[in-house]
Amino acid sequence: MESRFSNFVNRRFHRRSLVVMLLYVLALAVMSLAIDHLHLRGVGLVLLALLPALPIVAGIVVIAQYLSEQKDEFVRALLIESMLWGVGATLIVTTVWGALEKFAHIRAMSLFLVYPLCCVFVILARVVVKRRYR
Amino acid sequence: MKNRLKVLRAERNWSQADLAERLEVSRQSVNAIETGKFDPSLPLAFKLARLFESTIEEIFSDEN
Repeated sequence: MESRFSNFVNRRFHRRSLVVMLLYVLALAVMSLAIDHLHLRGVGLVLLALLPALPIVAGIVVIAQYLSEQKDEFVRALLIESMLWGVGATLIVTTVWGALEKFAHIRAMSLFLVYPLCCVFVILARVVVKRRYR
Repeated sequence: MKNRLKVLRAERNWSQADLAERLEVSRQSVNAIETGKFDPSLPLAFKLARLFESTIEEIFSDEN
């Protein structure tokens, strides 16, 4: 059983995280369409390419807000541990994939997949970490 | 870190959920502290001590 405030903070964190993920997908779609149709170059192209980075910044802000609002230190520690494993898994997978791309000539992984991949790994790590302390 | 939380809880006939509510933390937190999987911060340890009208040393011991 969690306190009402903790529940509220958790629900808000999950809602905001979902919105950030949807914004990332939307930003990618808008950027791709704009690049296809506007044929931008130079600074314009760079600015457009920055668009998908904005939801990532927002995601970091959402996590920072959660860590400052969540009063339950154990719950905070769970998220930090999950993020550590999630980011670690992402670094390992992308590094190994990069090596295989270069030396075994496997299909190149789109760098746009790194952020969603990291989100998936953090979510999986949260499930495993929570289960460990059940 | 070893602790006497389970005993102190039992003396008062409190469930983990009861204690969690009094501490304003999750039941999972109480369970993790009680089983020694998570060491509470100093403020939370003081809160526990106040709640059980005891000292931190009487609740927690650094023996393995």
